[in-house]
Amino acid sequence: MRVTRRGFLEAGTTTALLASVPPWLVASLPGRTPGRGGVVPPVTDADIRELALRAVDAARGAGAAYADVRLTHMYRRSIDSKRSVSDTEEMAVGVRVLFNGYWGFAAGPTWTADEVTRLGREAAAVAKVNAGGKPRFVELAQVSASKTGHWETPIRIDPFSVPIDEIMDFLMGINVYVGEAYPGIGTQTGCQFTRREEAFASTEGAYLTQVFTTTGAGLGILLENAPQGEQNGIGSDLLLPAARGWEYIRDNDAALRAEPSRLAAILEADWRLPWKPVDVGRYDLILDVAGMGGLLNATLGAATELDRALGYEANASGTSYLDDPLAMLGELQVASPIVTITGNRSAPGALATAQWDAEGVRPTDFALVKDGVLIDYLTTREAAGWLKETYAKRGMPVRSHGCANAQSALFASMLFPPNLRLEPGKEDTGLDDLVAGLDRGVYVRDLRLGVDFQQRDGWSVGGLFYEVKGGKRVARLAHAGLLFRTTDLWKALTALGGPKGFRWTPAGRTKGEPAQTVSYSVGAVPARFKQQTIIDSWRTA
Amino acid sequence: MTGPARRNPIARAPEWLTALFGEPAKKFLSQADCEAVAARARGFAQGGGVTRLFVDSWWVGELRWALNRVSLASDRRNDELLLSRSIHGAGGLVTTNQIDDVSLEGAVRAAERIAHYQATNPEELPETPPRFDYLKTAIWSDATFGQPSSDRTVAAQRIIAPAEQAEMVSFGFLAVQAAGHAVIDPALGRPLYAPYTAAQCSMTVRDPQGVGSGWAGLSSYDWARIDPEALARRALEKCLASRHPVTIEPGRYTVVLESQAVHDLIRFVVNKFYGREEAERIPSPFHLRQNFSKLGLQIANGRITITQDPADPDLGVLPFSDDGQPVGPVTWVDHGFLTRLAHWRDYALKWLHENEPVVNRWDYRMAGGTTTVEEMIRSTERGLLVTRFSNIDVLDNDSLLMTGVTRDGLWLIEHGKISKAVKNLRFTESPLFVLNSVDMLGLPERVFSPGAPAIVPPLKAHDFSFTATIDAI
Repeated sequence: MRVTRRGFLEAGTTTALLASVPPWLVASLPGRTPGRGGVVPPVTDADIRELALRAVDAARGAGAAYADVRLTHMYRRSIDSKRSVSDTEEMAVGVRVLFNGYWGFAAGPTWTADEVTRLGREAAAVAKVNAGGKPRFVELAQVSASKTGHWETPIRIDPFSVPIDEIMDFLMGINVYVGEAYPGIGTQTGCQFTRREEAFASTEGAYLTQVFTTTGAGLGILLENAPQGEQNGIGSDLLLPAARGWEYIRDNDAALRAEPSRLAAILEADWRLPWKPVDVGRYDLILDVAGMGGLLNATLGAATELDRALGYEANASGTSYLDDPLAMLGELQVASPIVTITGNRSAPGALATAQWDAEGVRPTDFALVKDGVLIDYLTTREAAGWLKETYAKRGMPVRSHGCANAQSALFASMLFPPNLRLEPGKEDTGLDDLVAGLDRGVYVRDLRLGVDFQQRDGWSVGGLFYEVKGGKRVARLAHAGLLFRTTDLWKALTALGGPKGFRWTPAGRTKGEPAQTVSYSVGAVPARFKQQTIIDSWRTA
Repeated sequence: MTGPARRNPIARAPEWLTALFGEPAKKFLSQADCEAVAARARGFAQGGGVTRLFVDSWWVGELRWALNRVSLASDRRNDELLLSRSIHGAGGLVTTNQIDDVSLEGAVRAAERIAHYQATNPEELPETPPRFDYLKTAIWSDATFGQPSSDRTVAAQRIIAPAEQAEMVSFGFLAVQAAGHAVIDPALGRPLYAPYTAAQCSMTVRDPQGVGSGWAGLSSYDWARIDPEALARRALEKCLASRHPVTIEPGRYTVVLESQAVHDLIRFVVNKFYGREEAERIPSPFHLRQNFSKLGLQIANGRITITQDPADPDLGVLPFSDDGQPVGPVTWVDHGFLTRLAHWRDYALKWLHENEPVVNRWDYRMAGGTTTVEEMIRSTERGLLVTRFSNIDVLDNDSLLMTGVTRDGLWLIEHGKISKAVKNLRFTESPLFVLNSVDMLGLPERVFSPGAPAIVPPLKAHDFSFTATIDAI
């Protein structure tokens, strides 16, 4: 992507920087916010508990077998070095009711006693209307966790407590420093914060409150001396959104100041490499952390969502090739034996990290793929019940993995990925070691993927492809693309980067009808694959 | 942080709120409600300048089903407010969904604080009250607004029954929405408010063995114009006819694209009618060379005409843009020639000496012909019939080269007849190429396009590029 200087300056940081950030992230993270602190009581306030219990009581009074209520209060703020600020506040309350196996849900923005009572009744009413038809069975997996409690993302400095002027000074300080230290590099910086307060209550007696905070910074550079036709701008992935406070940015001041020259070096190294037409064929392949995170998220991460595997997303975001849990669980080799993939909601700094999920389940870390074999699916309380017989056959307990989540209380909770983790290899190798060990092949930076609606077949829709010879990048391959079959690609994985190459990157999933988007983190390491198909992606038939 | 007095959510609601959410609860804010919110916001403003309020207040009733059973019924509402304060050209914008006094005052203060960080703009265009004419549009349906949730249940039962009888499984979603959209901007001279409704119904019917899949869907502002049972028959027929597909070689094929498949591609072109300035300045599909767009040049086959008209009774869109600019009838492509590209009012005033902007609401009508899909098939020696496309990504923004896959029904046509179901294919093609290789056009019809209605004809085109087979069904 080539950015014009004028466009870069006019668009403002958010646009320019986020050009390199996936669109779902733009949709779900940046924004605006409060500063009108004190308007609504904090989520731990007894008044909010009172509201939540009223909604649950109303649903129970209307005959619900089970009901839960969520109240969410979300602030978003983004600030950039062009002195542009945006603030968003959203409050919501949603009541979910189970009546004879049929779910009903009602939600709105108004936190008053009368309104939550109305929502409780409304949710029960819409569930009941359907319960008159053919029978449907829902068995909610048992919850063993605490019934009451409060948890907050561990942060040192609440980003919303930091004066806007201080943040602007910080950001502009970086621009000024770079302008003086590195003439010829134009810099734009920006940051974004979210805080989501959540209360959860259920007819099972749970009352849980949580406060989630995220912080992220963007930095983009524009090189004035870029040769005609070359990429002249690039965005940083140094401080991608994470479950951190303002300290995440402030404590990385030195790294941020060094970032523009590091990014410039990446671009300049690229310019020195010639462009070459791609020689279509099979090559050993190396993907970086961003590419591996994207691959994991788009393929195995989506395919192991149990609702998707059983068809629940058939009319929306698609189905899964892992569609026969009874036959596949514990049997199917989905990846090379060196691949182990786990899910968690506990990794410090990761975006899905929580004490309880949207159904009040206390998640534990679990494995999805062990030594290349599929051993579990992502589940919620209802979904775990679908696998009752399968779990019994394999001697596994029927319990939710705590994957219930929702964009906000305006949406009914459903199954979303937790933090996903591709376990690092044993040898402590990094990306550079992998590339150095490749005699002849292709290395892809920032691969972006498309996959079909069952995650079976995939192809690249972006990324920079390099020809590697004798452990060195020797050329850039114009319009090169990757074509793969999910199972074959994962089975062809021959080397994984070690712990030093591991990193978390933000990811997101849009699914459901109505569609909702939820963020989480994917942790990965760079990896090498043998003999993959490299094509000219712009070539038509 | 110190703020105004804390609002206690348990305290008795103020009277205006009780009036809004008494029994029966109001589903969305009326014009009077929106104007009252704006008046209260203006009352909180400090330091002069202009206070603008944009409201999208909505209610939806929804039903989702999976594996032949309803999996979720819902009833939701929200008030989305964008509040802006503009003082000497310095603007601040905040988003909130709270309309009580304390929250509104907080939002006004936040917008003023944001504006304070922005430089004032002496070149700001004078706020001459524009003399816009807003079209009357058909975007409200009592059948949509008044639909009780039991109607959705009955509709779902009737949709599911034939699939279940045929031992297939149905998955789908239907939703009705009623909303009020307000733009309250002193510069416009009067408050704008449009109530509107929207309805959608779509479903996927699959063979339980995973060997076939069919889809059908439709959206309209008017629920009465959607026939769920007809859609159910269509999705089931497609599923049954799509089973056990055979593999064919990728390559260039003559294609008969059903109207939904045409829309899946052409909507990317329509999105690009946005941005005359972009087209003049930076490489993009309608950029010719530095400072020149392709306006006035032929970009498509001479039979292609694409228009937008908010007064079109089949489209049903708001007569004004999100910021209150009038949406007028526009001919984007006239018999193959690019005749218009959207631009803002400041561009119109500065470069065209015109008062009105050209707004792209994404809705469109593509003119067609009279050929039926059956006739297109009969006239085809060898080709493919496509139900719809999915998973589309743009590879090259300059040419709109994109890749994606066929889904829910792909058939081989041989000697004028459908001969067999074939496995899905991935394509690599630009919709602009399709618009130039059209052989036949059918009768334009409404397609599934919630949020931006479209009337699109089925078409037959030659040399469509399929680049790979895929196994997904």
